[in-house]
Amino acid sequence: MDTFLAALFSGTSRGAIYALVALGLVIVWRGAGVVNFAQMGQAMFSTYIASTLIQNGNPYWVGFFVALFAGAALGALLDILVMRPLSNKKKTELLSSESMRAAIPVIASLGILGVLQALAGIIWAAEERGFPAPAAQEGFTVAGSVMPFTSFDVFVISIVLATLTMTTIFFKKTGVGLAMRATALNQEVARLSGIRTNFTRTLSWAISGAASSLAGLLITPTSNLSPNTLDLVLIIGFTAAVVGGLDSPAGAVLGGFILGLVISFVTFYLSPEDVFLSILAVLLIVLIVKPRGILGGKDSRRV
Amino acid sequence: MSSTAKNPSIIRRSFRRTIFFIIAILAIGSTFEPYNQAQLAVVLIYFIGVLSVTILTGISGQISLGQGALMAVGGYTTALLMTNYSISLWIAVPASIVGAGIAGALLGIAAARLSGPYLAGTTLVIALAIPTIANRFMSVFKGDEGLPVDVGYPPSWFSNFFGEPTYEEWQLYVVLPFAAIALFFASNLLLSRTGRMWKSIRDHETAAALTGVNYSRQKVYVFIIASIFAGLAGALYGLRGLVGPSVYPVALSLTLLTAAVLGGIRSIFGAFIGTVIVVFLPDWIDLVLDNFELSEQVSNFMPALISSLLLILTVVINPAGVAGGSHLHKHK
Amino acid sequence: MLTIENLTTSFGSVIALDGISMSAQESKITTVIGANGAGKSTLLRTISGLESPTSGSITWEGQSIVGRKPEDIVRAGIAHVPEGHAVISELSVEENINMGSLFRRRTHKSDVAASLEEMYQLFPRLQERRKQLAGTLSGGERQMLAISRALVSRPRLLLLDEPSLGLAPLVVEQIIDCVNTLCRSTGLTVLLVEQNANTALGVADHGVLLALGKVVADRPAAELKADSTLRAAYLGY
Ligand SMILES: Nc1ncnc2c1ncn2[C@@H]1O[C@H](COP(=O)(O)OP(=O)(O)O)[C@@H](O)[C@H]1O
Ligand SMILES: [Mg+2]
Repeated sequence: MDTFLAALFSGTSRGAIYALVALGLVIVWRGAGVVNFAQMGQAMFSTYIASTLIQNGNPYWVGFFVALFAGAALGALLDILVMRPLSNKKKTELLSSESMRAAIPVIASLGILGVLQALAGIIWAAEERGFPAPAAQEGFTVAGSVMPFTSFDVFVISIVLATLTMTTIFFKKTGVGLAMRATALNQEVARLSGIRTNFTRTLSWAISGAASSLAGLLITPTSNLSPNTLDLVLIIGFTAAVVGGLDSPAGAVLGGFILGLVISFVTFYLSPEDVFLSILAVLLIVLIVKPRGILGGKDSRRV
Repeated sequence: MSSTAKNPSIIRRSFRRTIFFIIAILAIGSTFEPYNQAQLAVVLIYFIGVLSVTILTGISGQISLGQGALMAVGGYTTALLMTNYSISLWIAVPASIVGAGIAGALLGIAAARLSGPYLAGTTLVIALAIPTIANRFMSVFKGDEGLPVDVGYPPSWFSNFFGEPTYEEWQLYVVLPFAAIALFFASNLLLSRTGRMWKSIRDHETAAALTGVNYSRQKVYVFIIASIFAGLAGALYGLRGLVGPSVYPVALSLTLLTAAVLGGIRSIFGAFIGTVIVVFLPDWIDLVLDNFELSEQVSNFMPALISSLLLILTVVINPAGVAGGSHLHKHK
Repeated sequence: MLTIENLTTSFGSVIALDGISMSAQESKITTVIGANGAGKSTLLRTISGLESPTSGSITWEGQSIVGRKPEDIVRAGIAHVPEGHAVISELSVEENINMGSLFRRRTHKSDVAASLEEMYQLFPRLQERRKQLAGTLSGGERQMLAISRALVSRPRLLLLDEPSLGLAPLVVEQIIDCVNTLCRSTGLTVLLVEQNANTALGVADHGVLLALGKVVADRPAAELKADSTLRAAYLGY
C-alpha cells in the first residue's frame, strides 16, 4: 500500500512536468506546424540564465521571471532566424514533397538543440549545478510515513493545470488563438484571410518558449542542471504529447500524467532499467490503436 | 525489386562507381598515417549507416531518428555470434543483417501507419529504449560492460602477400569490402525502378496510391532495406573494440542524420561527403583552434557548435546539401 | 477599379501569364474564362499576392499592389476565394467565417458581429451547422463557407476561382445568383474565374477569354457569349 501510494504520488508530480513539456510542444505544433526538438534546449538555456542571476544574489522570483521572458525571446528569435526562412523556401524542389516539409524542420530543430547545448557548455561549463525550488521539498506525511509528495509538487501541479486552462481558453476563445491555429493548418487560407502568419508563428514560438522555460525551472530542482540534463525530459515529454494527441493541449496533459505514472510504477514495481522499454511499449500500443493519440483528431491533414 | 537485375546498364554504372570508390579509398588510405586510417575506417562505417538514412529519408521521405538502434541490433548479432560461437567475422558480419532486417521489418510494420513527427518521435524513443535491453538481459548481453570484439589480425596469406598491415590499416581493409558492397547495392537501388517508385511515393503519396502502389507494404520494404544497411554499419562499428549500450547512444542516430543532411540527403555522393565532414570536422576544428589560445571549455564544445551550425545553415540556405545541386539535375 | 497591365508570371520555365492586360470595372461582374491550364488561377493568385509577377503592374483604386503581401492586399479590400472550396476542415464553420474578419475585430468590433449575422442570413445552412467542423460539410456548403469567409473582410473586390467546380447544377445556380445579387445590391466588384463559360457569361457584364496565358478576347459578356467561332476555338463546344 505504501509503495502504491508512493508510486502514485511520485508519478503524479513527475507527470505534471512531462505534461508541461508536452504542452509546449503542442503549442508550437498547433501554432506553427513544427515539432520542436530544440524545446528543452531552450528551457535549459533560460534556466541557466535564471541560475546565474540567482547565484549572483538576485531573488528567486527575479530569476524565474527573467527566465520566462528569456525563453519567450529565444523562441521568437529561433523562429525568425531559422524557421521563417525555412518556411519561405517551400517552393524549392527538395521541399516540394509533404514528407520532406515535415522532416526538414525536425532536422533544423535538432541543429538548434546542438547549438544551444554547445553554447551552454561554452558559457557555463559542463559541470552540473543545482537549482533552487520556490517551495518546500520535504514530503507530506500520510498515515505515519513520509510520501514522495511535497508542497513543491503541489505548486508544480497547480501551475500545470493553470497553464493548461489558459492555453485551452487561449486557443479556443481568442482571436489570436484562432489565427495561430489557422496559420498552422493552412497558411495560404490564413494569409488570404488577412492573418499575419509570420507574426502568429513567431508568437507561437514565444509562448511555447515561455512554457518550456517554465518546465525547465520546475524540473531542475529535482534533476540538477547541465547542458544535457533535459534531453531525456524532452523525449518523454514528446512521447507524452504523441500519446495524448499532438493536436490537443488536454491530450498533452493527459499523456504527461500517463507517462509519469507509467514511469513511476515501473520504477517502483519492476526496475528502473525497464523504464524506456515500457515507454516504448506504451507509445507503440497507443499509436497502433489510435495513430493520432488518445485525444487527437482524425487524420484530416491529408487530402 | 527484380527490376534491378533486368537492367544491365544500371548494374554497369553502379559497378563502375564501386570500383572507382575502392581504388580511391585504397589510394587515399595508403597516404594516411594510422590515426587517419582508423578515421577513414570510421568514415566507411558511418557511410553505410548514412546510406540507410539516405534510403529511408532522402529516397522514401520517412524520417528516422532511430537508425542507431538498428546499428545496435547489427552489432549485438555479430558480437554474440563471434563470442559465443567463435564464428569468423566474415560470416558473423553478413549474418548481422539478418538480425537487423528482422528488427527493421517489425519497426516498419509499426511505422507504416506513422508519418512526420509521429515517426520521428517513435524512432527516437526506439533509439533510447533498444540499447537498454542490454541491461534487461544481463546474462546474454552483459549489460553496460558489453561484449568485446575486434577485427583481429590478418590471415597469414594476407600478410605474406601484402606485408604486415598495422592494426588501423587492417581495420580499413576489413571495412572496405562491406562499404563497397553497400555502395553497389545502394547505387543499384537508387537507379532502379523500385527506387524511382519510392521517390514517387515520397513526392506524391496520393498519386502513388492511385497508380496502385501498395503504400504501406512499400514503406515496410524501405524500412527493411534501410535497416540492413544500418545493421551492417552497426556490426562493423562494434568491431572497433566493443559492442555495448554506450557504443550506440541516441547521439549516434543524430550524427547519421546530420551527415546525410549536410552532404545532401538525396544522393549517395552526398552521403559520403556528409560522412567525411562529420568524422573529420572535429580534427579540422582542432587544427584551426590550435592557433588560438582557447580554454578547454571552449575548445571542447567547438566541434559540436560548428557542426550544429552547419546543419542549420545547410537546412536554411541549401536544403539539398553539399552534393544537392548537381545531383538533382542529373536525376530529373 | 482594378487595372492590370502587361502582367507576366512564371513558374521556372513555365510562363503561366504572358503579358496580360485587362481591367475589372467597379460594381460590375467581370468573368475570366478559358480552358484548363490557361492561367486563370494564376491571374487571381497574382492579384491577391500569393504569386509574384516577373513584370507588369496591378493597380487597385489608384495604387500599385504588386509586391504587397496577401495579408495586406486583403486589408486593401481585395478578397480571394481560391480554387477548390478553400476552407480549413479542422476548424468549425463559425471559426472559418470569423477568420476572415480577425484583422478587423479591434477596429470594427460591431461590424464584425453584424457581418457574421449577414452571412448566416445569406446562407442559412451555415448557421444550422455553425458548430460543425468545416470538413463535415458538403461541397456546396464549403463553397458558401469560403465565400462567407471572404465577404466578412468587407471587400470591395471579390476574386472567385471556379466556384462551380464539382458542384451540382442547382447549387451552382444558387451560388452564382447569390454573387450576382451581392454585386447588384452592394456595388461589389467581382472578378469571376470559370471554366463553365456559359454560366459565367450569363451573369457577367464583361468577359475576358484567356488561352495559354494570353488574352484572346476582351468584350462585353453577351457579345462573347454569342461568338460561336471563339467558343469553338477556345472552349470546345
Ligand atoms: N505552382 C505552380 N508551379 C508550376 N507550374 C504551375 C504552378 N501553378 C500553375 N502552374 C502552371 O501554370 C499554368 C496555368 O495554371 P493555372 O493558372 O492553374 O490554370 P487554370 O486555373 O486556368 O486552369 C499551367 O500550365 C500550370 O501547369
Ligand atoms: Mg484554375
